[in-house]
Amino acid sequence: MSFTRRRFSLAAGSALAFAAKPAFAADPVKVGALYPLSGQVAKSGEDTLNGIRLAVDIINKKYPNLKMPLAADEGLPGLGGAPIELIAADHQGSPETGAAEAERLIVQSKVVALVGAFHSSVAATSSQVAERMGVPYISGESEATPLTERGYRWFFRTTPSSRTQAKDFFTFLRDINKTHNNSVKSIAVVHESTLWGQEFAKSVDAYFKEFPEFQKSIFVGYQQGTADVTSEVQKLIAAKPDAVFHASYDAEAILFARTYKQYGFNPQGIMAIGASFGSSAFRDALGADANYFFVREHWSRDLAARNPLVGEVAKMYRERYGKDMDGTPARAFTAMMVLGDAINHAKSRDPEKIRDALAATDIKGDALIMPWEGVKFDKTGQNILTRGIFVQTLDGTPKMVWPADFAAAKLVWPRPAWR
Amino acid sequence: MNRSFPALPATLILAGLAVLLLLPFAIGHRPFELRMATLIFLFATMGQAWNVLGGYGGQISIGHGLYFGLGAYTSALLSVKLGLNPWLGLPLAILVPTICAVIVGIPCFRLRGHYFVIATLVVAEAVFQVFTVWEWVGGAIGLEIPVKREGWLNLQFHRDKTPYYYLALGLLVLVTAGVWWLSRSRLGFLLRAVRDDEAAVRSLGFSPQAYKSIAMAISAAIMGAAGMFHAQYVLFVDPFSVLGLHISVLVALFAILGGSGTLFGPLLGAAVLVPLSEYSRIAFSGSGRNVDLLIYGFLIMVIAAYQPDGLVGWIRRVAGSARRRRAPTQQG
Amino acid sequence: MSEQLILQLVVSGLGMGFIFALIAIGLTLIYGVMDVVNFAHGEFIMLGMYATYLAYVTWGVDPVLSLPFVAGLMFCFGLVVYYLLIRRVLTGNMQSQIFATFGLMVFLQAGAQFVMGADYFAVRNSWLSGVVRLGDVVLPVPQIAAVVGSSLATILLYLLVFRTSIGRQLRAAAQDPQAASTLGINVSLMYALAWGIGAACVGVAASLLSNFYYIFPRVGAVFVLLAYVAVALGGFGSIHGALIAGVLIGLLQVVIGFFVSSELKYVPVYMLYLAVVLLRPRGLFGRS
Repeated sequence: MSFTRRRFSLAAGSALAFAAKPAFAADPVKVGALYPLSGQVAKSGEDTLNGIRLAVDIINKKYPNLKMPLAADEGLPGLGGAPIELIAADHQGSPETGAAEAERLIVQSKVVALVGAFHSSVAATSSQVAERMGVPYISGESEATPLTERGYRWFFRTTPSSRTQAKDFFTFLRDINKTHNNSVKSIAVVHESTLWGQEFAKSVDAYFKEFPEFQKSIFVGYQQGTADVTSEVQKLIAAKPDAVFHASYDAEAILFARTYKQYGFNPQGIMAIGASFGSSAFRDALGADANYFFVREHWSRDLAARNPLVGEVAKMYRERYGKDMDGTPARAFTAMMVLGDAINHAKSRDPEKIRDALAATDIKGDALIMPWEGVKFDKTGQNILTRGIFVQTLDGTPKMVWPADFAAAKLVWPRPAWR
Repeated sequence: MNRSFPALPATLILAGLAVLLLLPFAIGHRPFELRMATLIFLFATMGQAWNVLGGYGGQISIGHGLYFGLGAYTSALLSVKLGLNPWLGLPLAILVPTICAVIVGIPCFRLRGHYFVIATLVVAEAVFQVFTVWEWVGGAIGLEIPVKREGWLNLQFHRDKTPYYYLALGLLVLVTAGVWWLSRSRLGFLLRAVRDDEAAVRSLGFSPQAYKSIAMAISAAIMGAAGMFHAQYVLFVDPFSVLGLHISVLVALFAILGGSGTLFGPLLGAAVLVPLSEYSRIAFSGSGRNVDLLIYGFLIMVIAAYQPDGLVGWIRRVAGSARRRRAPTQQG
Repeated sequence: MSEQLILQLVVSGLGMGFIFALIAIGLTLIYGVMDVVNFAHGEFIMLGMYATYLAYVTWGVDPVLSLPFVAGLMFCFGLVVYYLLIRRVLTGNMQSQIFATFGLMVFLQAGAQFVMGADYFAVRNSWLSGVVRLGDVVLPVPQIAAVVGSSLATILLYLLVFRTSIGRQLRAAAQDPQAASTLGINVSLMYALAWGIGAACVGVAASLLSNFYYIFPRVGAVFVLLAYVAVALGGFGSIHGALIAGVLIGLLQVVIGFFVSSELKYVPVYMLYLAVVLLRPRGLFGRS
């Protein structure tokens, strides 16, 4: 009895609410953000989310001196100045929780689009939910290649995939060979054994056909919780590769670097995917020994020299969040800007229209803080205008050294001996 | 101390069941609550599985997630590699973990308490590591179960998750009824005897080893079924989500906190702790601090020191002697 | 296969092995005296490492210098754990004992994350860094320190347990608590001491580890499983057994990691545990 009465009054109440309130165009547009905010990568999750928060702020407020779309106006002009309301959710790194939170955001919080998710495994399940429920999903930093191979309509990815990034390593080495007498012949890969590391190893493996001047040396995998890396490093020493590709998280990067020094392992060059070998934690722990490592980066502060926008945004990030921006928040920031741009072009809160606007995205490189040529999605939802850069730590600071036309410093090759 | 099931009147149980059956009408349109209820049922089932071995059998396992993972993987592999319908794969999803459990039990049950615990940990970790590098099961990348048309035939539901709720509830009811029957049966009696005094059991001519193995098999079978459910619920398996140590720890936690060796312990444990975990995640979203685990750990220490019967024991105490009727003596 | 390579593998295997051994010794001592396995042992390692790191970062104290203090701190911590928790469950059944340290493990791990965050830390440039070269073989200084430190600690422990009156009392309490107490030995105090000393051993190991390993809330898990295997292999309760077993395990994982698979280098070690408890339950040197 009281149950039905409550039900009725609820229905009546909402009917009244709808009747009384005209749907203002300026009602906020809700966007859901799925990130790991607790657990092992909580800090990174928070930093990445901050990149998105910064983008939302720029869209919502007036920043006339920032030369990027939506900065000069308040809110989304295509929707009468409606602001974006960001609703964040913590998926704790669990694919199942991510899917559940995606559903909650869509059904209960009524978001028009989702952004996420840092972990590729979570992006997989949460975007599956979005696909089933017809809600656009944009990922700025989930790199697993299969994410755009599922035939999804609603999934878009601005960041390059793991496979694309692997190719950059080969392109880089080919360039090195041109100016250094073809000295690089064999390549070894060191990778940790979660999804990220294994994917990278697979991608690298596949490219040897396309770059036949290189030989495959040893591939060394390791578990994340390994107590020491002696056997791994000894295997590398025995294989004598010219170059080593690394897929390691920060903590093991330190362990490996120290062990390399201990055993005097010094190939011509060591280059890593992911920020580990260039991170401030790495440099703090290793001091002068952090020099000469390469990192294939998505973004660098040095890009400000070519595009002042980069410097301005990096400065804002630093001022608000007390940390330097790096590749992952930068990409998340960009993804949010792309989404905002699409919603603006769609001039609608209808997910289908937003999806179509996303598919038609065409943003030029100079409106971005990334070194990309722009943002344009192919049929699978992948941005095809991305570009990677290589950064080398020199004198204790990571400097952009490749491609040559971007270089802020001259790269050092081969590595000098350990001191 | 008499550790048989608490004497809850049958009417109370039926009433509770009726509430649970009707609950989706209230929360069916709220995915968060629906999911939480489904999770409670699933964890309660897993806790009950642990309970059979740990609570009634006295063999503490902190590697039980292994059997959950094996069930999930078996079901997923059959779907992915053979396109087999999950219902048809269910028997195998139950059988594989059971067989593995029995095999593991053969050497391990010779071990006294502590060594057994370590053995369970070590086996679970070894299997986890192997799965992360084993290509055929997807390695660290995992397996995505193909999305099919929704319905009971394919055991996939996409828009409305209420059927999952009922399935989990059904599983829980089935398992709890089974455990209740077990606890009153001769097998259950002997199991508890093995837990309390192994030497005495042996002297009576029974083989403790055999009974431990049976408990292990039952326990692993239930975990396997739960694993299969999980695979169909999430449509994705990877070593970190189904073979990770955290599952083993959580399952043991829920059963212990609720009341190890009691029938309703795991249910109570899950009913209290799953919401605690979910709400603390939302409340503390952003500070990444694992507050729920902090509380659980503390509570377990308290329970160990003061109240080995967990929440159930505490409720018994609070409810006073009126509720504590001596259960009828077990006979064969 | 060059001799130099084999030598190199052996040397580094020994280095890690001695660390595993020291951790295992702490564990086996507690078990030997009172029949309780400390499931929170890994978290003791973690606490020791955080203590070392904090001393380093707050006051600039190098791990070599802070080692005695960290050991002392952990000793006190062991006492506290005994008096607040373990003592209450000794009279209960085995389940309660297992739950107690299991709960402690979960609590300490979550607590560390709560207080220090999930980030990892590293001691930047401890005094014990660099290498010593013997011909072609490279001996990393932190590993040498680990060998030396662990050996010293083991010797000291041995002397304590077998050559002092306290040690005699410990052994008496371990063998027969009732008889010991009628002889006037304060058994409870002996138990507390066992916890304290066991924790102190771990403190030393943690301090040595901090010279080259990174520190985060779950770091204990990395080492403790191997320590359990070492304790079983050496024989529960045997100090020299834990030492030898720890070293063997260090060698085993390096050799397997190099010749077979680095991703699966611990799996044979885990299987070794099962083999030992199945075939020879009292391990290499344990009491039956």
